[in-house]
Amino acid sequence: MQREAWAVLLLLLAGAAVFAHVTTTTEEYSRYNVGWNGTSGFAGAEIRDLRDIDPGATLLVLAPDRPFTPEEVGTLRAFLDNGGRVLIADEEGAANDLLADLGSAMRVRPGNLSSLDRGHADPGLFVGYAVGNASLFAGIETILLNHPAAVEGGEPLLKTSVLTWDDADADSRPSGEEVFETAVICASEGNLTVLGDPSLFINAMLAENPEFIDNLQPVLIDATHSRTGTTNPIINTRVWIQETPPAAAALAILVVLPVVYRFGRKENE
Amino acid sequence: MNRRASQIILAAAAVLALLLLAGEATAPILYTATDTSTAAHADPATVQKRSPGNADALVPLMDDLLGQTGTLTLTIKLKDYESAESDLARYSELSRQFDRLVVTLDVSGTDIGEFQRNNRQNQEALTALLNDTRRFEDLQRLEIEVRGDDEQHATVVYEGEALRQKMREGFAAYAEKETEMTRIAEHYDLNATPYQESVEHFAEAANAAAGWREKIGGGTGGGTGGGGAPRSPLMIAVTPTEGRYGDTLLVAGTYAGGLPGNPVEIYIDSRIVETVIFDENGTYQYAYRVGRILAGSHLAYATAGAVFSEVATFEILPRNTSITLALAEVNRTAVACTGNLTTAEGVPVTDAPVLLRVDGGTLISTQTDQNGTYTKHITLAAGEHTLRAEFHAAGYPLNASESQEETVLVQGEGLSPLPFIAALAAVIGTGWYLQRRRQRPEESPVVEVPEVTDRVEEAAEQPPQVDIKGLPPREAATLLFRTLRLRLGLAETKTPRDCARLIPTHAGFFKRYELIRYAGETPSEEELRTMEREALGGDPDAA
Repeated sequence: MQREAWAVLLLLLAGAAVFAHVTTTTEEYSRYNVGWNGTSGFAGAEIRDLRDIDPGATLLVLAPDRPFTPEEVGTLRAFLDNGGRVLIADEEGAANDLLADLGSAMRVRPGNLSSLDRGHADPGLFVGYAVGNASLFAGIETILLNHPAAVEGGEPLLKTSVLTWDDADADSRPSGEEVFETAVICASEGNLTVLGDPSLFINAMLAENPEFIDNLQPVLIDATHSRTGTTNPIINTRVWIQETPPAAAALAILVVLPVVYRFGRKENE
Repeated sequence: MNRRASQIILAAAAVLALLLLAGEATAPILYTATDTSTAAHADPATVQKRSPGNADALVPLMDDLLGQTGTLTLTIKLKDYESAESDLARYSELSRQFDRLVVTLDVSGTDIGEFQRNNRQNQEALTALLNDTRRFEDLQRLEIEVRGDDEQHATVVYEGEALRQKMREGFAAYAEKETEMTRIAEHYDLNATPYQESVEHFAEAANAAAGWREKIGGGTGGGTGGGGAPRSPLMIAVTPTEGRYGDTLLVAGTYAGGLPGNPVEIYIDSRIVETVIFDENGTYQYAYRVGRILAGSHLAYATAGAVFSEVATFEILPRNTSITLALAEVNRTAVACTGNLTTAEGVPVTDAPVLLRVDGGTLISTQTDQNGTYTKHITLAAGEHTLRAEFHAAGYPLNASESQEETVLVQGEGLSPLPFIAALAAVIGTGWYLQRRRQRPEESPVVEVPEVTDRVEEAAEQPPQVDIKGLPPREAATLLFRTLRLRLGLAETKTPRDCARLIPTHAGFFKRYELIRYAGETPSEEELRTMEREALGGDPDAA
């Protein structure tokens, strides 16, 4: 009996290790990354076809890395015109083409923003201050930022203190031609909001700005253009099976058939 | 599924689990989760927390400093010296706080550093303005009192002229910074108005001196002793008129009425720096070595008794510096930091403060000696540390400098023997416990059923005696079966089939007996002899 218990335990351990490996990833921003830099802990339903968005919903485009087709841009524009809200969180400037196509003057300016206004040794982890009365920052005075980018244009919603500089030489201190100046991290134009810090949605940051995350809910995540997807083929297959009823049914049959066969054979014996 | 297949599956599962876990186990994040970051972000939970360093006080302090200049110059202009003293003390305290903050936050290289340097010079200028204005008021009063006494009157006028020139120079230096200070103030959204007003107040205080000069009959001409002002008989000159840190400037002059051996006091920026004496020719001289003095215009004058010289000006120009840092291990926890602070031309900077910045934050201060060398032993926690030496040049006519960043690996205190002793004690204790536990069954009155193998060995040591002569063949076979079962230590409840399954090496014997016992077969004599040999401990294959 003891030997059997050990065998079951071993099999469970091996199964858990295999399961954890094939169903998780370490990719940045991935919904299947349960580590600090994944977004598995961020509550938000994924949407793969922009035409399926309900008018009036809030759509989050998180760290986009795939271009939008003209049709998708048109869909987004119509969505905005009909009262929908779009939040684009980007720090690499990948969203600038989309912003231009949407007719927005806002742009993401990639850089290495650092600040003295911080409570961490890392100069890229610093405080931003909410300005104005946008619902996204309702009840919030400060936000902990994580290596954000500046946003140009639009109406500022979140700014840094003046003791902020673009640390171009990455020496973690203001030097050379680097100057202190306030940077805008989040700005809006109507229903379109641009946030220069997608890191606010990673697992490690969720507990740092809980009110901000709450204010955003409910939210849909654009899974087609965001980096929340993954390149892991096993996970992609699992997701495809989950989202494709015939495939799920076929898999269920594949699992059930051997069991039925086995039981049938035993009864005959 | 047979036993071997199960074992293979379990072994494969174990190897797989170990491999997968080993892959993760080697990840350092499990053990040293510090500064975990990627290009896009950092994990705040693993980044060292630090005090904000009062950074939010930096800009308000700048605002306070600008505001304080306006208040201070106004009280000086209004000749409210008691309030002015108080304002100056407050201004000096704010400046000290600001200086500390600039160094702590490591922002000397920014426009805030520029603001700090200008503020330092402004502080000097306003201190001089307060002293000069107060002295000037005394002179105005004296001038009225000594009218009629030409010699004393001339003395007062000489000193007044010296002060007038000094205040004019001081104002020029103060006003020169207005543009830059205003620009910085606007950049940080500070209120520059009080500072701009302070420039106006300063100008009014300096002009008051010029007005008095005109009133007592002096001219308005510029330059040292220029215009119609009475020329002092005590001459003074500074040569060369420009110098840098480490240079020597000669302050010298003559006085027709100077008796050999009489003292002459030399003042630089209103502070007495040396007392020298006249020689036989009525001349004096003093070699002034440029040391800790701000870059810019400075004033020198001399006094011999009641006679004041005119004011001579000279310029101190800034010099670049360089500082080195070398690290050497002193012991497992301490590091010796040594280096040299020199000007770009190699002149050692003596008795100068040096800061050692550890890991970009902590500051440790030390000082250079007469050779410009500094040494400091610092104790650090175990691990890798970065150190940099910095010279902030506060009060020196030198530009700030910093060394290359050096890295040192501190081993830390040797491991305490206590954990090892505890671990050893735990191992010994565990061994002792297991040993006792193993011995306990023998001591215990409770008799446990021995394992089959033990019983087999025990029984094998004492071969049973059996005699089958005269017995019918089937009964003889039964007796041999029981003998063998007993020898093998098997329970009497075990059937031949059970015995064959439990002891496969004697399976032939037991199967044969099963046929005799249950199938009614009768063994031959030859078979019985073979079975007897096996039952008594012979070769089982022979059965």
